Amino acid sequence: MASVLTFFTEFPFELFVIQTLNGIVTGMILALIASGLTLIFGIMDVVNFAHGELFMLGAYMGVIVLSTTGSFWLALILATLIVALFGAAMQIVTLRPLVGRDPLTTILATFGVSLILQNYALWQFGPVARKINEPYTGHFNLFYLEYPWYRLVIAGLSAALIGGFWLFLKHGKFGIWIRATMQDRVMAQAMGIPVPLVHTAAFAIGAGMAAASGVLFGPLVGVNHTMGLDWVLKAFIVVVVGGMGNLGGSIAAAIFISLLESYAAIWVSPAQAVIVSFIVLIFTLLFRPTGLFVPTPK
Amino acid sequence: MTKRDKIIYWTGFGVIVALLIVAPLVLPPYWSRFVTEILIWGLLAMSSDVLIGYTGMVSFGHSAFFGLGMYGAAAALLMVSPPNLILALAFGLIGAAAVSAFVAYFSTRLRDIYFAITTLIFSQIFYVIIFTWTEVTGGENGLSFRRPAFGIPGIWTTPFTAETLHWFVLALVVGSYLLLRRIMHSPFGMVLQSIRENEPRTRAIGYPVERYKIVAVMLSGLFAGLAGVLYAVQNRFAAPDFVFFLISGEAVIFNVMGGIGTLVGPIVGAATFLLLREGLGRLFGEQFPYLIPLGFIFIAIIIFLPQGLLGFMRRWLNK
Amino acid sequence: MSAQGTLQEKSEGPLIAVEDLHTYYGKSHILHGVSLTVGRGEVVGLLGRNGVGKSTTLKTIMGLIYPKQGRIMLEGKAVTSTPAHKLAKLGIAYVPEDRRIFRLLTVMENLRTGLDRPGVTDERKKELLDKVFSYFPVLGERRDQAGGTLSGGEQQMLAIARAMMLEPKIILLDEPTEGLMPRMVSQIRQIIDVLHSEGVAILLVEQNVPLTLEASQRVYIMEKGAIRHHAVSSELKIDDPVIKQYLGV
Repeated sequence: MASVLTFFTEFPFELFVIQTLNGIVTGMILALIASGLTLIFGIMDVVNFAHGELFMLGAYMGVIVLSTTGSFWLALILATLIVALFGAAMQIVTLRPLVGRDPLTTILATFGVSLILQNYALWQFGPVARKINEPYTGHFNLFYLEYPWYRLVIAGLSAALIGGFWLFLKHGKFGIWIRATMQDRVMAQAMGIPVPLVHTAAFAIGAGMAAASGVLFGPLVGVNHTMGLDWVLKAFIVVVVGGMGNLGGSIAAAIFISLLESYAAIWVSPAQAVIVSFIVLIFTLLFRPTGLFVPTPK
Repeated sequence: MTKRDKIIYWTGFGVIVALLIVAPLVLPPYWSRFVTEILIWGLLAMSSDVLIGYTGMVSFGHSAFFGLGMYGAAAALLMVSPPNLILALAFGLIGAAAVSAFVAYFSTRLRDIYFAITTLIFSQIFYVIIFTWTEVTGGENGLSFRRPAFGIPGIWTTPFTAETLHWFVLALVVGSYLLLRRIMHSPFGMVLQSIRENEPRTRAIGYPVERYKIVAVMLSGLFAGLAGVLYAVQNRFAAPDFVFFLISGEAVIFNVMGGIGTLVGPIVGAATFLLLREGLGRLFGEQFPYLIPLGFIFIAIIIFLPQGLLGFMRRWLNK
Repeated sequence: MSAQGTLQEKSEGPLIAVEDLHTYYGKSHILHGVSLTVGRGEVVGLLGRNGVGKSTTLKTIMGLIYPKQGRIMLEGKAVTSTPAHKLAKLGIAYVPEDRRIFRLLTVMENLRTGLDRPGVTDERKKELLDKVFSYFPVLGERRDQAGGTLSGGEQQMLAIARAMMLEPKIILLDEPTEGLMPRMVSQIRQIIDVLHSEGVAILLVEQNVPLTLEASQRVYIMEKGAIRHHAVSSELKIDDPVIKQYLGV
């Protein structure tokens, strides 16, 4: 009993609030990455191992555009577009030939792409982390901390991008094409929907979303060639916990897991806090392999 | 296998083993060591072939088994003085077996992509533990130790030379190959292959598929652990990099390159990979990002040569 | 091929001509040289027991499986191994056996998968929608409901309506009455007649022999992956020995 009491008296409420905020910010970034991963998995059964590298590539493109033009927003837009185009090319060259083969071959092929991109980045940009300057440098006071506004901007922008993506899927011809292809590829094709084109476009959209999150996240941690790896693992966890191919579930899972990791980081080192999300994943796989945030299948 | 096939197979086998025995005597020390290393990585890849090629499950978590073999050996070598080879083997194998039992119990409930991701996540859990538990594992820097002597401590020992170490590794790798080949041809191996071909049907016939899968993962993990022990003994250190999932990824690359479902294919894959890396490094310098061209080759093999380099021999090798 | 002499095609040639089709699923040989024709605006029945390759024939024509051997001609042009989405543009529509409506899309969105083609004006879209909603009023009532929430019969109507959105020259109709209540069956029967009167050709795979003989002009009977019999529907009696032999009614 006494120990429970000390837990509450010594409970770091201020840190708890700060970590909640941090958890939501990383959760939104993660949700943006995972939405793209989910879209790609949902529509073509491809587990995109190179997704983290697309995130990294976006961040580097951001660095390059920012250093030549000086505009963060231009960097965000251009990096997104360039990586989306790259994603389309990557899908055509490495994944189209694998249509109809065991889905596991796509993991292998995208793993190959991730090796290439990661080593290319190391070779081209070197091991030293690059910096993206925040477009907003203001702070506000949160207890004993000066909390940067930019973090809230990231969360807001990520939410806006996800919302825009959702509207795009919900309305308009192309959204219907994507959703129809997700549900029944064969029937979509029989209805005249150009499925190969839809696949390429969906991959490009997913890549673009990863790149956008890379640029947004760049100012917080700096940009280096290994940054994709941590995120792709987290995004995998989110996609599985959220129910593979389920967009809403992925977003919920991204925020849930990021919050858990943030809270865990109050008591253990951030490196060890990662284990919390691993444990969530394992429990999900054991007890609800279809995902934590989807209704029980009938 | 017809009698003629048998003769060809065992002749080929004998010739290759003989060449590998002679290798350290004729090759310069650098290349001799290189061949030893190929054998160790080949063993890791071969162990992973039990799952990829024979049971139809792609593991992205073999680095955990390899790494635990390594750290198990390290524990034995650091605790006992003088370092004891038998104890290192025993500790490494026990470590790998324990981890693979744990991973097998959870991950075999899942199939296909889910299995691959789960094994990947498990290996990352062990990586994080080893990386952050500095007091025990040495954290980022890893552990270094002295190489044990060959023989049975207390009765007869002799320090390893480059040659004897090579022969020791060779003996274990060849023994593992023969054993795994035997197991894959046994009724147990046939059940694994029928799981690969049609899991629901195998279950319908009445085989406890999950139990077979658990044993397959443990078997595979045990041999991966053996490879880890050998690597530790050869290099006299254990480091968290070897628990990182890139090692698992390389094991998968070796398999895909050499040809899954052949056991020897993965060794050929490992040799091809390491030779290409070495060749590229020599041509363009140490700093050359060799994984870029190797990544392209890897993708090209997946697309154009799905059976791998030895794929054309797959049926024959499994007769 | 007893009825061959009486089965002359119109001078402009058949809409679809399938010649010597061999289709495989992996290693198993399903179609062993299927040949058939469907004329413009003609309703043709394809009968046979379960597993003789009727559905596979439709899937092969739709380009969902590519044949190893043989030719498919659409209006005199070879379309063998053309991807399905291109065939859909050329005027072939497909209503599969298990209906395969998009369960999470609304009724309206299901219809729009076929409607949002280039070159369809808004007016034309409205006409097409009004037409199917007048044939299938229930679809109009449930236009914003998810396809998966419809009953089996309603799903079948949606599958046919969705195919009609493509304004096809031919609809490949796979067991449309399977598992439906008698009232629904007669509604499907009516829509076949309506489509026929509008000049849409239909290749109808059915287990319901009386319905097929009534609705079609010609029938083919399949067994073991090949056409065994070909007849004018009106000349074939339900108690014909051929029917007994191949269909075991």
